[in-house]
Amino acid sequence: MEKINSPFVSAYLRFLQLAKVIQALPDGMEMDANEKALLQAVVLRWYENKPMTVREAIGLAELGSPATLHKRITRLREKEMLSTLNLEGDRRAKFLIPTQRTLDYFNDLGQSMQQAHQSLAA
Amino acid sequence: MKIAIQEALETTALTLGGAVLFAGFFQFNGWLFADLVYSEGVNWVFLPAGFRVILVLVLGLPGATGIMLATWFLDRDSLGTSSMWLALVNGVVSGFTPLWVLKILERGKRTQHLLQDMTAQRLLNFTLIFAAASSAAHQLVWLLMKRADVNIWVDVWPMFIGDAIGALLMLYGFKLLLSRIKVKRL
Repeated sequence: MEKINSPFVSAYLRFLQLAKVIQALPDGMEMDANEKALLQAVVLRWYENKPMTVREAIGLAELGSPATLHKRITRLREKEMLSTLNLEGDRRAKFLIPTQRTLDYFNDLGQSMQQAHQSLAA
Repeated sequence: MKIAIQEALETTALTLGGAVLFAGFFQFNGWLFADLVYSEGVNWVFLPAGFRVILVLVLGLPGATGIMLATWFLDRDSLGTSSMWLALVNGVVSGFTPLWVLKILERGKRTQHLLQDMTAQRLLNFTLIFAAASSAAHQLVWLLMKRADVNIWVDVWPMFIGDAIGALLMLYGFKLLLSRIKVKRL
């Protein structure tokens, strides 16, 4: 492999490496495994065009008790990973839908999976 | 020969660029946090400490040299007076302490490989070690060179806190900036 002699190029590449690490600095918006599991369940239903209501989400017994799940939904909303939507004509049902931040998060995961697949195939 | 000259020119440009950035942020910090000055040269928030981390990690030796030149420039009033040696050593400590710490932490790795294995947690550890080493080295030099009114056991803490907070603010500011930049996918 050819060695990079230009200090400008080396500096820029190291800057990119550092920028990548800086972007991964913790900012208090990270999700724990339980929050990720709930988010996946909610987003999967949204993807299947059957968005989950808050009532349904707090009834996911395999992920926790209703009180725990309610707190988890609140945390996901505070982290701007979920928002709620009321359908016209039915003000009682509150649907959980992913935010742009969530879609970006899944997009990143998809890209990582693709990269891993490519590096395995190479 | 031509390539060697080009390399030397690029290294000089990076060194001077680093010096301008460090000196600029030093002045900006002095203006922004004028009310948080603890003593001469020590502030409870010291943003240029973030540039020490970034410049040394990205540029290595040219970065450290740039910080040293910037510190000499900032202390230029002392050059030619009785505290000239203090100002000169102060510049060397300011620029080369982070590089020296980096060399120890690298354990023989090249910076490129060090950054390749870097995680966010390691970067935070680096930042705190840089702040601790820099504040300890500065205070030690000031004590040894008999700068007036130095109480190392008391003064080292504001300097460490200022460096650590300043560096973290810079890194998180940079993170915020990067999150605002939208990359257009090809």
